[in-house]
Amino acid sequence: MNIEPTQLEKAVLLKVTGRMDAENAHEFEEACERWITHGTKHVIADLDGLQYVSSMGLRCFLSVAQKLQSTSGSLILCGLHGLPRQVFEMTRLIGLFPVFETTLQAIATL
Amino acid sequence: MEPSRLTLPASAVSMPAFTRFVRQGAIAAGIAEDEFEKLDLVLEEILINVARYAYTPQTGAVEVAYAQAGPHKLRVEIADFGRVFNPLEADPPDLSRGLVDRPIGGLGVFLVRSLVDSIDYRREENRNILSFTFPMAAGSSGV
Repeated sequence: MNIEPTQLEKAVLLKVTGRMDAENAHEFEEACERWITHGTKHVIADLDGLQYVSSMGLRCFLSVAQKLQSTSGSLILCGLHGLPRQVFEMTRLIGLFPVFETTLQAIATL
Repeated sequence: MEPSRLTLPASAVSMPAFTRFVRQGAIAAGIAEDEFEKLDLVLEEILINVARYAYTPQTGAVEVAYAQAGPHKLRVEIADFGRVFNPLEADPPDLSRGLVDRPIGGLGVFLVRSLVDSIDYRREENRNILSFTFPMAAGSSGV
Protein backbone atom coordinates (compact mmCIF):
# COMPACT_ATOMS: atom_id res chain seq x y z
CA MET A 1 0.00 0.00 0.00
CA ASN A 2 1.16 3.50 -0.80
CA ILE A 3 -0.24 6.71 0.70
CA GLU A 4 0.45 10.00 -1.06
CA PRO A 5 -0.72 13.14 0.75
CA THR A 6 -1.61 16.48 -0.84
CA GLN A 7 -2.44 19.39 1.41
CA LEU A 8 -5.47 21.36 0.26
CA GLU A 9 -6.90 24.61 1.59
CA LYS A 10 -9.52 22.97 3.83
CA ALA A 11 -8.49 19.34 3.88
CA VAL A 12 -5.82 16.82 3.17
CA LEU A 13 -6.15 14.50 0.22
CA LEU A 14 -4.66 11.04 0.77
CA LYS A 15 -4.26 8.99 -2.37
CA VAL A 16 -4.25 5.36 -1.25
CA THR A 17 -3.10 2.72 -3.73
CA GLY A 18 -2.46 -1.02 -3.58
CA ARG A 19 -3.64 -3.44 -0.91
CA MET A 20 -4.68 -2.50 2.64
CA ASP A 21 -4.45 -5.62 4.80
CA ALA A 22 -3.92 -6.68 8.40
CA GLU A 23 -0.21 -6.05 8.04
CA ASN A 24 -0.29 -2.44 6.84
CA ALA A 25 -3.75 -0.96 7.60
CA HIS A 26 -2.35 0.82 10.68
CA GLU A 27 -0.19 2.95 8.36
CA PHE A 28 -3.32 4.58 6.97
CA GLU A 29 -4.68 5.29 10.45
CA GLU A 30 -1.32 6.72 11.57
CA ALA A 31 -1.08 8.95 8.48
CA CYS A 32 -4.58 10.31 9.20
CA GLU A 33 -3.74 10.86 12.88
CA ARG A 34 -0.65 12.88 12.01
CA TRP A 35 -2.77 15.25 9.89
CA ILE A 36 -5.52 15.41 12.55
CA THR A 37 -2.93 16.29 15.20
CA HIS A 38 -1.79 19.15 12.99
CA GLY A 39 -5.33 20.53 12.88
CA THR A 40 -6.72 18.93 9.71
CA LYS A 41 -10.52 18.69 9.94
CA HIS A 42 -11.34 16.89 6.73
CA VAL A 43 -9.53 13.92 5.23
CA ILE A 44 -10.39 13.01 1.65
CA ALA A 45 -9.33 9.46 0.84
CA ASP A 46 -8.89 8.87 -2.88
CA LEU A 47 -9.44 5.10 -3.14
CA ASP A 48 -9.45 4.80 -6.92
CA GLY A 49 -6.17 2.85 -6.77
CA LEU A 50 -7.13 0.72 -3.76
CA GLN A 51 -7.47 -2.90 -4.91
CA TYR A 52 -8.10 -4.67 -1.64
CA VAL A 53 -9.21 -3.94 1.90
CA SER A 54 -9.89 -6.40 4.73
CA SER A 55 -11.68 -5.93 8.06
CA MET A 56 -8.55 -4.46 9.62
CA GLY A 57 -8.66 -1.66 7.04
CA LEU A 58 -12.37 -1.13 7.68
CA ARG A 59 -11.60 -0.71 11.38
CA CYS A 60 -9.09 2.01 10.54
CA PHE A 61 -11.53 3.90 8.28
CA LEU A 62 -14.16 3.70 11.01
CA SER A 63 -11.80 4.76 13.76
CA VAL A 64 -10.51 7.78 11.79
CA ALA A 65 -14.07 8.84 10.87
CA GLN A 66 -15.15 8.63 14.52
CA LYS A 67 -12.21 10.79 15.61
CA LEU A 68 -12.92 13.39 12.91
CA GLN A 69 -16.63 13.44 13.72
CA SER A 70 -15.81 14.33 17.33
CA THR A 71 -14.11 17.52 16.06
CA SER A 72 -16.88 18.29 13.51
CA GLY A 73 -14.64 17.07 10.71
CA SER A 74 -15.13 14.20 8.28
CA LEU A 75 -13.47 11.36 6.44
CA ILE A 76 -14.63 11.53 2.83
CA LEU A 77 -14.24 8.54 0.51
CA CYS A 78 -13.77 8.85 -3.25
CA GLY A 79 -13.33 6.44 -6.14
CA LEU A 80 -14.45 3.31 -4.27
CA HIS A 81 -14.83 0.38 -6.65
CA GLY A 82 -14.24 -3.35 -6.94
CA LEU A 83 -13.72 -5.39 -3.78
CA PRO A 84 -13.29 -2.34 -1.49
CA ARG A 85 -16.70 -0.99 -2.58
CA GLN A 86 -18.25 -4.43 -2.08
CA VAL A 87 -16.96 -4.77 1.49
CA PHE A 88 -18.09 -1.23 2.38
CA GLU A 89 -21.52 -2.13 1.00
CA MET A 90 -21.79 -5.57 2.62
CA THR A 91 -20.91 -4.17 6.05
CA ARG A 92 -23.19 -1.14 5.44
CA LEU A 93 -20.28 1.12 6.36
CA ILE A 94 -20.81 2.95 3.07
CA GLY A 95 -23.80 4.77 4.57
CA LEU A 96 -21.65 6.17 7.39
CA PHE A 97 -19.23 8.13 5.18
CA PRO A 98 -19.68 10.92 2.63
CA VAL A 99 -18.89 9.07 -0.63
CA PHE A 100 -18.12 10.66 -3.99
CA GLU A 101 -17.09 9.37 -7.39
CA THR A 102 -14.24 11.83 -7.79
CA THR A 103 -12.01 13.89 -5.53
CA LEU A 104 -13.12 17.06 -7.36
CA GLN A 105 -16.70 16.43 -6.29
CA ALA A 106 -15.54 15.88 -2.70
CA ILE A 107 -13.43 19.06 -2.63
CA ALA A 108 -16.36 21.07 -4.00
CA THR A 109 -18.46 20.18 -0.92
CA LEU A 110 -16.02 21.65 1.58
CA MET B 1 -8.93 -35.96 -5.22
CA GLU B 2 -5.99 -35.73 -2.83
CA PRO B 3 -5.90 -32.27 -1.22
CA SER B 4 -2.87 -30.00 -1.50
CA ARG B 5 -1.52 -28.80 1.84
CA LEU B 6 0.72 -26.02 3.13
CA THR B 7 1.77 -25.53 6.76
CA LEU B 8 3.25 -22.23 7.97
CA PRO B 9 3.38 -20.15 11.19
CA ALA B 10 0.08 -18.47 12.15
CA SER B 11 1.13 -14.92 11.39
CA ALA B 12 0.35 -12.09 8.99
CA VAL B 13 3.81 -12.73 7.53
CA SER B 14 2.56 -16.07 6.15
CA MET B 15 -0.34 -14.45 4.31
CA PRO B 16 1.32 -13.89 0.91
CA ALA B 17 2.48 -17.53 0.75
CA PHE B 18 -0.95 -18.88 1.76
CA THR B 19 -2.62 -16.56 -0.74
CA ARG B 20 -0.36 -17.74 -3.59
CA PHE B 21 -0.88 -21.35 -2.56
CA VAL B 22 -4.69 -21.24 -2.53
CA ARG B 23 -4.77 -19.18 -5.74
CA GLN B 24 -3.07 -22.10 -7.49
CA GLY B 25 -6.05 -24.22 -6.45
CA ALA B 26 -8.49 -21.55 -7.58
CA ILE B 27 -6.82 -21.38 -11.00
CA ALA B 28 -6.85 -25.18 -11.32
CA ALA B 29 -10.54 -25.27 -10.34
CA GLY B 30 -11.32 -22.68 -13.02
CA ILE B 31 -12.59 -20.04 -10.59
CA ALA B 32 -13.00 -16.66 -12.29
CA GLU B 33 -10.06 -14.34 -11.73
CA ASP B 34 -12.27 -11.53 -10.40
CA GLU B 35 -13.09 -13.78 -7.41
CA PHE B 36 -9.46 -14.11 -6.32
CA GLU B 37 -9.39 -11.03 -4.11
CA LYS B 38 -12.49 -12.26 -2.28
CA LEU B 39 -10.67 -15.53 -1.66
CA ASP B 40 -7.65 -13.59 -0.34
CA LEU B 41 -9.98 -11.70 2.00
CA VAL B 42 -11.58 -14.89 3.36
CA LEU B 43 -8.15 -16.43 4.01
CA GLU B 44 -6.82 -13.29 5.68
CA GLU B 45 -9.78 -12.92 8.01
CA ILE B 46 -9.63 -16.57 9.11
CA LEU B 47 -5.84 -16.67 9.55
CA ILE B 48 -5.71 -13.42 11.49
CA ASN B 49 -8.38 -14.78 13.83
CA VAL B 50 -6.40 -17.97 14.36
CA ALA B 51 -3.23 -16.01 15.13
CA ARG B 52 -5.05 -13.68 17.50
CA TYR B 53 -7.49 -15.95 19.33
CA ALA B 54 -6.42 -19.59 18.99
CA TYR B 55 -2.72 -18.97 19.69
CA THR B 56 -2.03 -15.67 21.47
CA PRO B 57 0.20 -15.20 23.44
CA GLN B 58 2.14 -18.18 22.09
CA THR B 59 2.32 -18.93 18.37
CA GLY B 60 1.86 -22.07 16.34
CA ALA B 61 1.31 -23.53 12.94
CA VAL B 62 -1.61 -23.33 10.55
CA GLU B 63 -2.28 -25.88 7.85
CA VAL B 64 -4.22 -24.81 4.79
CA ALA B 65 -5.51 -27.54 2.47
CA TYR B 66 -7.64 -27.32 -0.65
CA ALA B 67 -9.28 -29.67 -3.08
CA GLN B 68 -11.55 -29.09 -6.04
CA ALA B 69 -15.17 -29.51 -4.98
CA GLY B 70 -16.97 -29.55 -8.31
CA PRO B 71 -16.89 -27.33 -11.37
CA HIS B 72 -15.46 -23.89 -10.47
CA LYS B 73 -15.57 -24.76 -6.76
CA LEU B 74 -12.84 -25.13 -4.18
CA ARG B 75 -13.12 -26.70 -0.75
CA VAL B 76 -10.64 -25.10 1.67
CA GLU B 77 -9.75 -26.36 5.14
CA ILE B 78 -7.81 -24.33 7.70
CA ALA B 79 -6.51 -26.20 10.75
CA ASP B 80 -4.58 -25.02 13.81
CA PHE B 81 -3.35 -26.62 17.01
CA GLY B 82 -4.36 -23.80 19.36
CA ARG B 83 -6.94 -23.56 22.14
CA VAL B 84 -10.57 -24.34 21.32
CA PHE B 85 -11.77 -21.46 19.17
CA ASN B 86 -14.86 -21.42 16.97
CA PRO B 87 -15.06 -18.06 15.16
CA LEU B 88 -18.55 -18.95 13.90
CA GLU B 89 -19.90 -18.59 17.46
CA ALA B 90 -19.27 -14.83 17.42
CA ASP B 91 -22.40 -12.67 17.59
CA PRO B 92 -23.17 -11.00 14.26
CA PRO B 93 -22.21 -7.30 14.22
CA ASP B 94 -24.98 -4.72 14.47
CA LEU B 95 -24.80 -3.11 11.03
CA SER B 96 -27.59 -0.65 11.75
CA ARG B 97 -25.65 1.59 14.15
CA GLY B 98 -24.61 5.10 13.19
CA LEU B 99 -21.02 6.32 12.91
CA VAL B 100 -20.61 7.40 16.54
CA ASP B 101 -21.72 4.16 18.16
CA ARG B 102 -20.77 1.66 15.45
CA PRO B 103 -18.47 -0.84 17.22
CA ILE B 104 -15.04 -1.17 15.66
CA GLY B 105 -14.51 -4.84 14.95
CA GLY B 106 -16.51 -8.02 14.46
CA LEU B 107 -16.63 -7.50 10.71
CA GLY B 108 -14.08 -10.15 9.70
CA VAL B 109 -16.21 -13.20 10.45
CA PHE B 110 -19.22 -11.42 8.99
CA LEU B 111 -17.33 -10.88 5.71
CA VAL B 112 -16.19 -14.51 5.64
CA ARG B 113 -19.75 -15.76 6.10
CA SER B 114 -20.92 -13.39 3.37
CA LEU B 115 -18.41 -14.63 0.79
CA VAL B 116 -18.35 -18.42 1.16
CA ASP B 117 -20.68 -21.39 1.00
CA SER B 118 -21.31 -23.94 3.73
CA ILE B 119 -18.70 -22.89 6.25
CA ASP B 120 -18.36 -25.13 9.29
CA TYR B 121 -16.19 -25.64 12.32
CA ARG B 122 -15.12 -28.84 14.01
CA ARG B 123 -12.73 -29.71 16.81
CA GLU B 124 -10.80 -32.85 15.95
CA GLU B 125 -8.36 -34.19 18.53
CA ASN B 126 -6.30 -31.09 19.38
CA ARG B 127 -7.14 -29.15 16.24
CA ASN B 128 -9.59 -26.41 15.27
CA ILE B 129 -10.71 -27.02 11.70
CA LEU B 130 -12.65 -24.49 9.69
CA SER B 131 -13.75 -25.56 6.23
CA PHE B 132 -15.67 -23.79 3.52
CA THR B 133 -16.51 -23.91 -0.15
CA PHE B 134 -15.66 -21.00 -2.41
CA PRO B 135 -17.12 -19.10 -4.13
CA MET B 136 -20.59 -18.43 -2.84
CA ALA B 137 -23.15 -20.33 -4.92
CA ALA B 138 -25.04 -18.12 -7.37
CA GLY B 139 -28.33 -16.98 -5.87
CA SER B 140 -27.26 -17.74 -2.32
CA SER B 141 -27.46 -14.79 0.04
CA GLY B 142 -25.10 -16.14 2.70
CA VAL B 143 -25.93 -13.44 5.25
